[in-house]
Amino acid sequence: MAYDTALVFPGMGPVPFAEVGRFMVANPIARELVAVADEALGYSLVDAFRLAEGDYSEAAQVAFFVNCLACAHWAREHLGVEPDVVAGPSFGEKAALAYTGALELPDAVLLTAGIARCLEEYFAEEHRDVVTLSFVRAPAEGLDAILAELDEAGEWHEISCRIDDGFYMVSLSERRVEWMQERLRAIGSLPLYTMRPPMHASAFRPLRDKAEREVVSRYTFSDPKLPVVADQDGRLLHTGEELRTMLLDGFDHPMDWPSVTTALEDAGVRRLCVAGPDTLFGRVPRTTRTFDVVAAQPRLAMTPRRPTRAA
Amino acid sequence: MWDEQFEQILRPFLPFLPPQEELTPGTELKDLGLDSLGTVQLLGTLEETYQVHFRDSALTMDTFRTAGVLWETVESMLQRTAG
Repeated sequence: MAYDTALVFPGMGPVPFAEVGRFMVANPIARELVAVADEALGYSLVDAFRLAEGDYSEAAQVAFFVNCLACAHWAREHLGVEPDVVAGPSFGEKAALAYTGALELPDAVLLTAGIARCLEEYFAEEHRDVVTLSFVRAPAEGLDAILAELDEAGEWHEISCRIDDGFYMVSLSERRVEWMQERLRAIGSLPLYTMRPPMHASAFRPLRDKAEREVVSRYTFSDPKLPVVADQDGRLLHTGEELRTMLLDGFDHPMDWPSVTTALEDAGVRRLCVAGPDTLFGRVPRTTRTFDVVAAQPRLAMTPRRPTRAA
Repeated sequence: MWDEQFEQILRPFLPFLPPQEELTPGTELKDLGLDSLGTVQLLGTLEETYQVHFRDSALTMDTFRTAGVLWETVESMLQRTAG
């Protein structure tokens, strides 16, 4: 079957309250979803997000999730985005679960909050020196040589994300970051930033087990109303069980955006709507040269729209 | 001060800088809306336009902190190419 339009929920990046707070209280769709989240959580999401410290607090994660979903519904109402297939790289998996009905919204909210707590607890005790470093323009040969040097030195590292040609995220020890950045620059690569908590590495298998035991096992995953593309390998998923596995794989398998875009292209997708505060997935060359990209951002949803004049 | 072409290249990457407002050498480009991916795209455009290649110490986010620092970097590469 050929698909035309894909809906993508982006991975999470830092989004200050000031950038989306007004959207959450003033946009009718967002307000409705926030109300559901408040009831599920038992606290005010907006208040908690406003007061939270750090880019990846529980409230920041739930707010990102809710805002992505609100943008998707807004895009359907105002931009006519009716997706045939859904993808959710990295953090976006959770919004994909809710949008496709694999989880009811209150359950997806609680799952998102529960996983956020799990991450915080786990990385407070384990892998305390591990960060994920992102960089662009790394030629494969040069990067292989650098990673081989780390191997020889007995330094643990894993590729956590493949974003585009030469664009990677690698998890490694924080004390090796400066060395790595210097070596990357020498091969013409530009290091961008480091993230903590790190994600998507086989070393985090105990985190996967903890999340499954303490959070994921509480919920029943229904078959999705739309197919979902697995962000680890681009497989088209059709059952709740497959989506549950994708969510768990997200802890200890690398995320691979090129495999997702290839799968969407092969399925016939021409238009791709990125729903939420995205600064990456809808903008990398791999995405923009393959699809007509619709960026359904909170800022766009808050921009007054001129009424369409009748022809 | 930079050449006209430099500012023409830079401005589209600065969504928070109104067209009529002056771009000053010391203003933080991040405050004017230059983000990580914008930086990557800007880097490619500068290399293509000026036929230079950013390497080593030029490949840091600090190079893209202000228009002044960025132009100094481009200018020093142009001088090396000319020399």
